[in-house]
Amino acid sequence: MTLENMELDQKLELLMKEQRHEEAEILLRQQLATGTGPLSLWQNLARVIRAQGRIAEARDLQQQIVDAFPGDTVARFDLAESLLLLGDFARGWKEYRWRYQQPHTHSFERRVQHPRWNGSPIPGKTLLIHDEQGFGDSLQFLRLVSRAKTLSGANILLEVTPPLLPIASRMGCFDAIASRGDLLPAFDMHCELMSLPFVTKLAIDDLPGPVPYLSPDPERVAFWRKRLEWLPRPLVALVWAGNPSHANDANRSMQLSELAPLASLGLTFVAVQKGPAAKQAVGAPGGLKIELINRDINDFDDTAAILEVADLLISVDSAPVHLAGALGRPAWALLPFVPDWRWLLDRDDTPWYPSLRLFRQKRRGDWSTVVSKLCDALAAFRG
Amino acid sequence: MELMTLMARKTLPASPDSTMTVVDALERANAHWNAGQLEQAESLCQRVLAVLPDQPDALHILGLIAHTCGNLDLAIGHLRKACLSPRVPALYLSNLAEMCRQKGALSNAEDAARRAVALDAGLVQAWGNLGIILQEMGQLEESAACLERVVAAQPEAATAHNNLANTYSRLGSLEKARAHYMRALELRPDYAEAQSNLASLLNQLGQFEAAAEAARLAIDLDPRLADAYVNLAGAEMNRMRLGEALRWVEALLSFSPLHGGGLAAKARILWQLDLMDDALATARRAVAASPQSSDTHNVLGQILQAMDFGNEALAAFDKAASLPGLPVAALANRAAALMEQGAMDAALAGFDAVIANHPRHVRSWANRVDLKRFAADDPDIDRMETLLTTTSDFNDQIALHFALGKAHLDAGQSGSAFAHFNEGNRMKRSTFALDIKASGRWMREIADTFSQSALEHLAGQGHPSDMPIFVLGMPRSGTSLIEQILASHPDVRGAGELLTMNRLASNLPGYPEGATGLTGEQLRQMGEVYLARLAPLAKGRRHVIDKMPANFMHAGLIRLVFPQARIIHCRRDAIDTCLSCYTRLFTTEQRFTYDLAELGQFYLDYQSLTDHWRAVLPASHFIEVDYEAVVDDLEGQARQLLAALNLPWDDHCLAFHKTSRIVRTASATQVRQPIYKSSVGRWKSYAKHLQPLLNVLERSTS
Repeated sequence: MTLENMELDQKLELLMKEQRHEEAEILLRQQLATGTGPLSLWQNLARVIRAQGRIAEARDLQQQIVDAFPGDTVARFDLAESLLLLGDFARGWKEYRWRYQQPHTHSFERRVQHPRWNGSPIPGKTLLIHDEQGFGDSLQFLRLVSRAKTLSGANILLEVTPPLLPIASRMGCFDAIASRGDLLPAFDMHCELMSLPFVTKLAIDDLPGPVPYLSPDPERVAFWRKRLEWLPRPLVALVWAGNPSHANDANRSMQLSELAPLASLGLTFVAVQKGPAAKQAVGAPGGLKIELINRDINDFDDTAAILEVADLLISVDSAPVHLAGALGRPAWALLPFVPDWRWLLDRDDTPWYPSLRLFRQKRRGDWSTVVSKLCDALAAFRG
Repeated sequence: MELMTLMARKTLPASPDSTMTVVDALERANAHWNAGQLEQAESLCQRVLAVLPDQPDALHILGLIAHTCGNLDLAIGHLRKACLSPRVPALYLSNLAEMCRQKGALSNAEDAARRAVALDAGLVQAWGNLGIILQEMGQLEESAACLERVVAAQPEAATAHNNLANTYSRLGSLEKARAHYMRALELRPDYAEAQSNLASLLNQLGQFEAAAEAARLAIDLDPRLADAYVNLAGAEMNRMRLGEALRWVEALLSFSPLHGGGLAAKARILWQLDLMDDALATARRAVAASPQSSDTHNVLGQILQAMDFGNEALAAFDKAASLPGLPVAALANRAAALMEQGAMDAALAGFDAVIANHPRHVRSWANRVDLKRFAADDPDIDRMETLLTTTSDFNDQIALHFALGKAHLDAGQSGSAFAHFNEGNRMKRSTFALDIKASGRWMREIADTFSQSALEHLAGQGHPSDMPIFVLGMPRSGTSLIEQILASHPDVRGAGELLTMNRLASNLPGYPEGATGLTGEQLRQMGEVYLARLAPLAKGRRHVIDKMPANFMHAGLIRLVFPQARIIHCRRDAIDTCLSCYTRLFTTEQRFTYDLAELGQFYLDYQSLTDHWRAVLPASHFIEVDYEAVVDDLEGQARQLLAALNLPWDDHCLAFHKTSRIVRTASATQVRQPIYKSSVGRWKSYAKHLQPLLNVLERSTS
């Protein structure tokens, strides 16, 4: 690699890290002006175009890269995320299968010594369905277990990450359930939870399926109903930050201070916020009235019960949004300019969850317009 | 091809405790392994080994885990240890065999697999592994027997059919192979390996379009399947689409940069593109990446041979022949190299040796026909005819048609000779696209562009070197003869046929018209680029001959780039030339010689263009030699030629057939003989077979 190339790479890396996508695009287009150049530059060009919200343009470029280099699984996964974001499920789920062929994900693939289910009927056999990634992913895609049961006719053995075991156990569309790492009974085939859309050929029109598909624990609901009884209505649950280890956390999470304008409505909020961001609620900004209950939230059953009791959830793109949607509880999701693929584009509802309403950034990083729209909507909600 | 574990037994409830028995622990470990819970499985195995360090079942599972995690050496280590147990199950030996095969340790693999089937002849998977190992070792008959056994036991298993088809394909039983690939794909339509293998078979059957399609489908099913890219590149090479071929190899190397087969394929493509330095470097990388592959040494040898490093080439072929697999290709390449190096007796002996062991090795038969003359009762003719009726390999059939054509012609049986030539040419012509009218238009554009005035406008501005001597004309017009005569002179070396000038021309934007806008600076730069390829071949001599016949298209450009260089135009009777072209199967890209009418049209276009060059280029630098005159009066013509090149007379030029140097064109064997006059006016005896050609040529004169 020449010195010039190294400088270029460093400059690009810096621009992309600082989200100066427009400048990065100019630099990349200069390098690629002749129509030829290293693959990595084309991939970065597609990424900076995508980050500026020109998704269809990014998808076309990503498709060209994949056509020229079919074995480039990074390019294929990039393409999958754009296809799904544009609502092209048929092609998107197909490319989404490359998620374990990324440099940083390779070791996470579950090497099961039985064949992967391909969507065809296998009556009398046992099918292991195992969840994989973040909590939100699992909560969103657990709805497909019943679909897999119907299509396969198999006995369903469901395996979930331990924190989701109690809530998933109440679903009742499987024949046996286990916690990840447990010794499993014998099974014949397996499928990752998020491969179910591909193998069952999930189309947008199939959504949302039976909703609600999760239910809270009645005892916990009783506990939280009592615990929150004294608070004035409407009661609004609040989440302003997701898991900080998420790749796109900087774009999807907020500072609580950015929600300060909500204080003018005189409402009381309960913070369902977990993780380090919960600290921001201590001495909440701008007179925002926040009831801090996070110390009492031990698991998803607590969160589910709170959502059952509360009148509304307002949340950035994080697991509680999916939980509310799966429970059929009203929730408003605050989404960054280029959202995760599951939220699609240019709509304020979502086919995944009828009880959700989406508030989207209109410009990159601009939460203030979102919050002012949120204030209006919340004033109307308060009535 | 497959690793298997013990059938999942009934599992115990999940309550691990410190008093678990070894049997319990192993059952649990096995269940965890089956469920892809590697950490739990490993930790249970380690607990067992802490108590019983040689426990074979625990070692076996640990080996499988290491294999899954990509640590082949560790995996083999565990399995070897497990297999030391006197009560080792056949399954463990079978798995060890497969891992050794993956490692390339074929004889260890064979040992383990044979122990497995001896221990338990009912273990189908062990027969499958043994069959694949034998296939890789080139023991194809026994491999087929093993794999037939697997298919009989598991007729619904797609992999069994695929593996058997692979062996049949290597055995040359192409139709059997096809039937089993089709069955495998019926059983499993998304079976990428079978699709890719089918592509390879279709390449052999000459169905290049279908081959490309099958390979594309295989890539679509599994974009990381390296063989599919190699097969797609092969199909494109067979269709003479080298750019596409290179593109697919690059796509493979982008995700698997050290893939030996991919590097070998890339080296072959670069060689075809005459990018010799890159080809050599790539072949060396292929050898470094896959030192145990016979094929990588083979391609290295072929490229070394093409670059005139004869001894190194022979060494590479020797190495290739010493490796397991199919040494026959290496031995045939070795003989072909000897032929090019002028060691005709040794070459003939080499081909005979190959044929003695591999009577169906068509390329050896085909090369061999050029080394001898056939009489009507030569038994080899019958043997080749039989071979032709029993082979289904498309390229082999073409080669046999041309070889038999030559043999029958030698024997004076022109009727059967032309029946073979016609069929061989028809088959070859079916593999690529050609628009002969477009090529004629292009030649007329070249003549229009390099007009007298255009040439004067840029005259003398090019590179001052007079090192290159360009020998050009129609193929088979005596260019090899002239090169050989001149290269026998102590001041001259022959470089063979270089594609460099053609590439320089095609890289010019808008060539030919675009060439008129060139500046002196650009011309000199092109000269430098050309000399960078040519000068290293001079090895101390003043002149180097580039005898690419097709450079007749670029005589105008050559004149501009090298105003001091001499161009020698070889002329020969039109019909003799075309006859000679039509009866040859060229190894390099040559599209216009496989149809008599197209060949005639091409000749006419060539003639008009060279008429133009005669009119606009000075006779001092555009020197014309008639083949018939050289045959008649070698010394007189040679003296004239040397004088025109400003070279002193040298007697060696008359004994050119003794000159020791590489000749790698279709004329390789002919320039080793003293001048032969039988080629003059030869066509008259075959006129009735050449009617389509004569029609075109006569139409133009009437």
